[in-house]
Amino acid sequence: MQSKFLGWALLAPTLLILALFGVVPFIYVLFVSFHQWNPFGANPDMLFNWAGNYRKLVFDAQFLASLGVTAAFVFFAVLSELVLGYALAQALMRDFPGKAFFRTIHTLPLIMAPIIVGSVWKLMTTPSIGIIPNILSNWLGYDLNIGQSAWQAFATTVIMDIWHWTPLVTLTLIAALVSLPADPFEQAQIDGANRRQIFWHITLPMIRPAILATVFIRMMDAMRTVDEVLMLTGGGPGSATRYVGVHIFKEVFPRTNYGYGSAVSVIVLYLTIVVCWLMYVGLIAPRNKGKG
Amino acid sequence: MNKVVRLGASVLALSLVAGSAWALDEEFYKQAGSKFSGVTLRGVTESTPASNYVRNVLAPKFEELTGIRVDIETTSWDQMYDKAIKDMEAKTGIYDMVYIEQDIVYAYLARDFLVDLTAKLKEKPDLKAPDFDEAKLTTFANYFRGANGDLYGMPMEAFIKPYVYRTDLFNDPEIMAAFKEKTGRDLAPAKTHEEYTQIADFFTQWGKDHKLDLWGSTAQAHTGHPASWYEFFESVAPTFGVYNWGIDAANNYGATVEHGGLMNSPQAKEAMKWWLHLRDIGPPESVQSTWSEVATTMAAGRAAQGLVYGENVAWIASDPNQSKVVGKISVALPPLSEGVLKAAEEGKGYIGYYDGGAFGLPVTSKNPDATALFLQFLAEEDLQPDWAVAGSRITTTATYESPKVTELNDKLGNYFGMLRDDGKLFGGAPPYPFHAQLREATAPIFYDILTGKVDPDAGLDQMAAKAEQELTDLGYRK
Repeated sequence: MQSKFLGWALLAPTLLILALFGVVPFIYVLFVSFHQWNPFGANPDMLFNWAGNYRKLVFDAQFLASLGVTAAFVFFAVLSELVLGYALAQALMRDFPGKAFFRTIHTLPLIMAPIIVGSVWKLMTTPSIGIIPNILSNWLGYDLNIGQSAWQAFATTVIMDIWHWTPLVTLTLIAALVSLPADPFEQAQIDGANRRQIFWHITLPMIRPAILATVFIRMMDAMRTVDEVLMLTGGGPGSATRYVGVHIFKEVFPRTNYGYGSAVSVIVLYLTIVVCWLMYVGLIAPRNKGKG
Repeated sequence: MNKVVRLGASVLALSLVAGSAWALDEEFYKQAGSKFSGVTLRGVTESTPASNYVRNVLAPKFEELTGIRVDIETTSWDQMYDKAIKDMEAKTGIYDMVYIEQDIVYAYLARDFLVDLTAKLKEKPDLKAPDFDEAKLTTFANYFRGANGDLYGMPMEAFIKPYVYRTDLFNDPEIMAAFKEKTGRDLAPAKTHEEYTQIADFFTQWGKDHKLDLWGSTAQAHTGHPASWYEFFESVAPTFGVYNWGIDAANNYGATVEHGGLMNSPQAKEAMKWWLHLRDIGPPESVQSTWSEVATTMAAGRAAQGLVYGENVAWIASDPNQSKVVGKISVALPPLSEGVLKAAEEGKGYIGYYDGGAFGLPVTSKNPDATALFLQFLAEEDLQPDWAVAGSRITTTATYESPKVTELNDKLGNYFGMLRDDGKLFGGAPPYPFHAQLREATAPIFYDILTGKVDPDAGLDQMAAKAEQELTDLGYRK
């Protein structure tokens, strides 16, 4: 009995913080999402409008388009980070001259604030002035103009995200690889398994929980990306990089469309949960069931 | 002897006049400020040359005099609004001063966010600085007056967006001869859009032919930032006779031609095509240029001419640490369509953008009295000349006569003279309480026009329809 009380007492501060900064704001956003509320409208008061905002967003071409580009962004960014992160993790498992230096340099992007990353990439990619367009133009005769080309802007935001977040994937996977027991690998080698077979049948299954956790974290982060993209492209050219986070930002802050912006936020949260749940059901649950 | 006496009397009289015009009443601020010693005032503002001067120079000077600390947070334009509006909306009282750009003042007044400074100083005469007089402010202060004529914001910066051109290029004999040969006319600052285009085309070609990083015109044409929207509706469209964003407030906020507006009028469409052409022949960075990048482009010597915010003119023309074109620029009135100048002179229109901002005192401030002191301090005549030189801004009429300002004015090609004499021809943002809301509603279509996804004519039709829909949703259009 005493230990049960002690457990709750120890948990209480965490639960309180979670309630204050997580649950209460969420309930407030949910509440606002059922209202028409723009403080700079002719009537600045909150007006209850049932599910009017949710109905509106189903037909909002701008929102639907932003969902589409966000899905593409998440897919390309997270997949690339995973592949590159694993390759780098494997490389860093081996010894080579300057390994400690490289590992430090490689981790540096992680400590940079997203807004700084966006600023630096903007400086590097400004047409005709930035170092990247200059190199591409002078060496390869390729014109990079992310202020004009939709797909170049999209690709640049993906590359920027990869540059920023691949180190996180690498570090997570290094931790997973380091913790693997040596026995299964030695046995597989004795049995004559080649490197590909060892990867598919031993390494990958054993680090699968770490991979999935990393993918979940990166996917949720990528779906709500705002700062870097806002700084780099402002969501443009046109709406080419107006990802849902940027869309919500523009609805809620400059446009002060608090009611509708809240509804969009709730739906995006819901979609994020659904995607994560689908991934869990598809990739983790069957494996756990098999073990059971 | 008589001459000596007369000379002495003249010197004495002159020094008295000068003294009364420029002396900062330090005793008043020391005495009035002593009641608030130890208080910290917090302000939020956009990072501009003028506001940086407040943070770095005027705030420490005020603290030295009064013991009142002033923390000025300088941030980006959108962050500044975000922070100020949230603070005033939620009544948290974090800020004692908020920057009010001229285009947001109507929204703040509509929401009763600001303290009536005129009334406050009448109610508390002990707070009023002896030499503070609203009549000393330039007419730009009128943009910050409420319906009752009282002042709700202390003007902090004020500037026009003139046509800036490179005198070294325009006066180069080889270039002048080449231009004359090509066009049949003398190279001089353009008065019409056709002339401007002709000059822009010429210089872009000149840059190509001579392998120079030089283009014919700047363009503030970012494809995802509101700066481009503002350049078109507040600087370009008015020169074609499209005022107040093409919205007729007196006619139920009509934006379409069908409903009395001009947003999709033939003039607006002509203006858009003219501007897009300049963007196309401008420096490649134009598609990512906001207000500050245009100034940087000009300062880097990459454009022969352009519309540049006046707050940047001083440093472009005079600061060799930041500019490659020191002493090589001058200003003129923007190129205009027929009838626009006459309309501006008659007060029926305007020829370009008159911008600036003030510091307002939110009703939620926890230190309104100390803030009122600081706001008057910002209007002190003695502080104005150095501030004008640092930020190319003038908010009191006497500042124009300061020797420091007149000296700089010569380097700026008479920019301050234009601000004083022709400022009345320029117009501030229209008195709408829904600036950001309308802008953000129509901006996606606007950006699509810039990227070529939508044809300019069809795009402006869509924007006008969207504007009316948004104004209906907001409850302004019935």
